[in-house]
Amino acid sequence: MSLATALFLAFFGVAAIWFGIVVFRTHSMVRSAIALLFSQTAIGAMFLVMQAEFLGVLQIMMMATEMSVMAIFMVMFMMDPGGMGKMDMTHQKRLSLWAGGIGLVAALVVIWTAGWQGPAPDVPGADEQARLLGREILGRSMFIFESAALMILTAMIAATMVAIAPQEEDTQ
Amino acid sequence: MSIAVIILALAIGCYAVAVLEGWAVHGRLSLTRPATSALALLGREQILPRTSDRLFFEVGPVLLLVAGLLSVAVIPLAPGLIITDLAIGALFLNAALAYVLVALIMAGWGPNGAYGMVGGWRFLGQFIAYAMLIVMPITAVAMRAESLSTTQIVLSQAALWNIAYQPIGFVLFVIAAMGVAWLPPIDLPTGGGDLAGGVEAEYTGARLAVLRLARLVIIVALASATVTFYLGGWLGPWLPGWVWTALKTLAVAAGMLALGSRLPRLREAKYLELSWKLGITLALANIFLVGVIALVVPI
Repeated sequence: MSLATALFLAFFGVAAIWFGIVVFRTHSMVRSAIALLFSQTAIGAMFLVMQAEFLGVLQIMMMATEMSVMAIFMVMFMMDPGGMGKMDMTHQKRLSLWAGGIGLVAALVVIWTAGWQGPAPDVPGADEQARLLGREILGRSMFIFESAALMILTAMIAATMVAIAPQEEDTQ
Repeated sequence: MSIAVIILALAIGCYAVAVLEGWAVHGRLSLTRPATSALALLGREQILPRTSDRLFFEVGPVLLLVAGLLSVAVIPLAPGLIITDLAIGALFLNAALAYVLVALIMAGWGPNGAYGMVGGWRFLGQFIAYAMLIVMPITAVAMRAESLSTTQIVLSQAALWNIAYQPIGFVLFVIAAMGVAWLPPIDLPTGGGDLAGGVEAEYTGARLAVLRLARLVIIVALASATVTFYLGGWLGPWLPGWVWTALKTLAVAAGMLALGSRLPRLREAKYLELSWKLGITLALANIFLVGVIALVVPI
């Protein structure tokens, strides 16, 4: 890995963590959602630095739309979406600290114990990557992706049913 | 070098689209109106709304401009005349255009005004309608080219342009593109007599100039994307390639503007209904048809 690659990787990594912190430091729901978006965009940029063009661009594209949709739900359901009342984003602090600490230790254990092979000597070109990814998704991993799709569809139908206002005869 | 040429071409294209939009809206062709409007905007007082989300207010228009410029980066003007010929160019174009949504939400939320906020969130609804109709026709285009590179997509149309090969995809893509650039009749986020300017309502002076410039860049980007995906890009007889791209792009932009000025504004619910019930069905049929044709007839 060249020095420039390492520097860019570190830069986007720090940016991702920084925006992740901003998510909880702001009072505004919309700012929080957009900060999460830019955190994810920075992770997409890390993919790009590692020459995974397709995955990086896909991450950057999907997160823009997903986080925007999340933002409107946060605005709809929270009592202070603009943060004018200085609402605190953090809650259940003791539980969060424990969960965060255990997560950090688990991540560190995985990082230190996993048998990392060195950096890939020759990365396939972007078009070859897209082809290989397509073969993977439509081959070995098809069942996983199809079952995930079915779960999302079920959740969408359920969410729509919950969102529909009850008919008049139901409310009586 | 090619970056400078493309930026120059983009600037000329934006000016031409501004002239055409003036013609479509006011019914009178004036070559100087965009320049005088821009000067007037730059000279005007810049009002900062009270208790605004200053960061979003300032970043919104700039992010919109950046999204437009990034989407132009993968459009070939002629063979070799492209800012970056990515192997996944078509996907990159989508990714850049996704930030139009983020920018408009930021610009709508930022000023702390009701009209702006309604306009910004309305664009989210509009996005839910057009998103699939941008992606699915491009899927069919990439299927024929067997590549996501925009240059390869143009070259794949040497024998027959995609407008003839997959006309359903072309119609869907143009309508969706009008949604992305919030051109009438799908101009829900700004909605003239309905939202008092919507997202633009609280912007004045140079910030409004940036917002409007960004929209022109997005219109040019989408018109040139239509040319790249469906009208054979730079391909054409006699004239040099870049002239063909420019002429076709202007023709597509003029077509979209002319169509919009003759139709009443769509309601959000109607747009969503049409896009999902009719549009996605047609887009799936288009992918299926293109797949069958690609397997049976080698063009």
